[in-house]
Amino acid sequence: MIKFSNVSLVYPNSTTTVLENLNLEIAEGELVLVIGPTGSGKSSLLRLINGLVPHHTGGILAGDITIDGLSTREVKPGALAHLIGIVGQNPINGFVADTVEEELAFAMEALNLPNETMRKRVEESLDLMSLVPLRSRTIATLSGGEQQRVAIASALVMHPKVLVLDEPTSALDPIAAEEVLSILHRLVHDLSITIVIAEHKLERVIDFADRIVHITGDGATTVGTAQEIMESSPIAPPIVHLARALGLKDAGLSVRDMRRATQVLRESVPISKPTALSVSAVPVIEITKLTVAYGSKIALDSITTTVFDNEIVAVMGRNGAGKSSLLRSIAGVNEMQTGTVSVHSLLSKELHSKLRRQTIGYIPQEPSDLLYAQSVERECEQADKDNQIPPGTTYAVLAQLVPGISLHTHPRDLSEGQRLGLALSVVLSANPKVLILDEPTRGLDYEAKKSLTRILLEFASIFNRAVVIATHDVELVAELASRTIFLADGEIVADGPTIELLLSSPAFAPQVAKVMSPQPWLRVRDVIAAIESKSP
Amino acid sequence: MKKLSLHPLTWWIWSFAIAISVARANTPIFALVSVGVVGLIVLAQRDDAPWGKSFNWTLKIALWILMVRTFIGTVIGVPIPGTTLFTFPRVPLPDWMPGIRIGGAVTLERLSSALSEGVTICAIIVIFGAAASLTSPHRLLRVLPIFVYEFGVTVVIATSVLPQLVTSVTRIRQAQRLRGQNTKGFASYRRVAIPLLEESLARSLDLAASMDSRGYGVSRKRSRYRPISWRISDSAVALSGLLVMGLS
Repeated sequence: MIKFSNVSLVYPNSTTTVLENLNLEIAEGELVLVIGPTGSGKSSLLRLINGLVPHHTGGILAGDITIDGLSTREVKPGALAHLIGIVGQNPINGFVADTVEEELAFAMEALNLPNETMRKRVEESLDLMSLVPLRSRTIATLSGGEQQRVAIASALVMHPKVLVLDEPTSALDPIAAEEVLSILHRLVHDLSITIVIAEHKLERVIDFADRIVHITGDGATTVGTAQEIMESSPIAPPIVHLARALGLKDAGLSVRDMRRATQVLRESVPISKPTALSVSAVPVIEITKLTVAYGSKIALDSITTTVFDNEIVAVMGRNGAGKSSLLRSIAGVNEMQTGTVSVHSLLSKELHSKLRRQTIGYIPQEPSDLLYAQSVERECEQADKDNQIPPGTTYAVLAQLVPGISLHTHPRDLSEGQRLGLALSVVLSANPKVLILDEPTRGLDYEAKKSLTRILLEFASIFNRAVVIATHDVELVAELASRTIFLADGEIVADGPTIELLLSSPAFAPQVAKVMSPQPWLRVRDVIAAIESKSP
Repeated sequence: MKKLSLHPLTWWIWSFAIAISVARANTPIFALVSVGVVGLIVLAQRDDAPWGKSFNWTLKIALWILMVRTFIGTVIGVPIPGTTLFTFPRVPLPDWMPGIRIGGAVTLERLSSALSEGVTICAIIVIFGAAASLTSPHRLLRVLPIFVYEFGVTVVIATSVLPQLVTSVTRIRQAQRLRGQNTKGFASYRRVAIPLLEESLARSLDLAASMDSRGYGVSRKRSRYRPISWRISDSAVALSGLLVMGLS
């Protein structure tokens, strides 16, 4: 179906090759997963398939790519529209029409298909993606998961033979991600569609992948079955790290297989009670009767809670549950609120300029919103000047967080992880009393996530500060948070120690916990610690 | 009240008719009544979509125009004799500018004439704003002739990007207030403009890539999903407008 022969790719004004001499043949009905660190060229590889690279982006392409016998050299992306459906990283950016139905019809209208065909196919795709109740809704009002489904449906109306998806679950909560992935699984098995997918959260997709293409970052690629690649890959889901730590390399990649392989181990240790971490009793963030409404839609409904010193609190919940609203209210920029939020007894709404910087550090969903200078150097200088600290301090913080960033780089040219690091060091340079992060792990690879975890743990324990973090990433929560708050429909439905909350909810349980249940272990290091404490 | 599903041209025809009657009648009372009626219809019938708010915008713009017009009309120009309400200090002008006057006495007659002219003009603006509020620009463009359509698709995309820009600006300003930056004044524009420009650029590239890979422009002819038809309810609304125009 898809054939890459000796493909190499170089972008203009760049000295590094993105891909070098890639040979890959993907058969019909295969699901191929593309993995690699951020900025390694996963998106480029996906966009090569329908010719967006190099037709749309420029760049020098050597070798040849054929799709069902058509070479992307000879035809433009539009001419492959009936063969390949492509869903980008941010589907909202690619929407053209304003209602779901019209969006679905767009590509067919462009190809001048007869009306009866369009009607039939729109109905089919609506059914297939369970979008029937949403058919006449305005796309802008849909949730992230729904938008993702609309994007997939509007690719499916063309009856493509190949579906290409770039991080389809990165912005979705675990349940919505599960939905999207099971639909993809069905497409492969029922309709024999060929799927190529790039994803950072391997724990979500690895089960479904027939083969993996691993891009190492210097242009080299390795291709193999999931099992083969996971033997040595540094990028691996927690379940693989667990298997490696326990010396069970052939145990398999699914929770079921791992449970079978670890049964003896699980039962050899008496079931222990989870130990609650001690937290200080100094309240930092006090939220009383916070209600936020946008028009008639209530985003938060009378929330009351307190966050203490040196606590890392994870805020979880489905897309649209009110996580961002809560975080913005804590930061004091939500104008639609009633009730009070105070940080160290200061009303967060009334803070401004220097006092605000020194009280609350906030990293928004798009860290680049905070950045406006033309280079990393200027950005750091501005932060030094704002906070009246010796020149160079901010850069020193940055160098500690993410080493190896050149001072002259433009913030836009940084990778996701580096940009988050820059925004974080700008915020931390003011030495805030609390740190608030809104979904910081979108688009971050495991390496970047690991260093983020380290930074936040240090910030909380060494400086004795509170951190509030909203995220969909259960693995991150397991690594990081001491306490978790679950929001649903604007209300707190659960609030307690992370370990208790994650263990009690199957959808939100991290992989290690699923494998090791009923043992209260969330992380690989919990398992190792428990085994070691037993052996002597 | 149930929302009517009308042909996209219907409200425009109706608004044209009402606007013409307002101009023909040229009495502020009729203009104000029309604005009231139009406002009620908009409240009941408009879409919960970005263009639905255009009525509020035109209302604001119209009030602004009315204020500026009335102010200029009473302060500059030919005085109308009558009851003096109050007097502005008069700006002395050289002899070679006879007949022009800045400041001076403001009479009741002068004020009411400036107001009533203004009200008529503003009412017409608001009535067109209502039509824009009641009709999706996307649907409107779909009923336009094919040569407009090609250009129209560009407009559709521009109109769907615009509301996104507004949300981006709010988001970026919010983020920067959190960095403790001042979001008022000239310097702040640069700080908002740069992330905004970068984001819009990235977004338009994404959109272009998406349209490209979905076969946009491959075929010269485009087919229509769900052609829009003219119904009895459309005729009724359009006729009611024309009737008002005939009576005025």
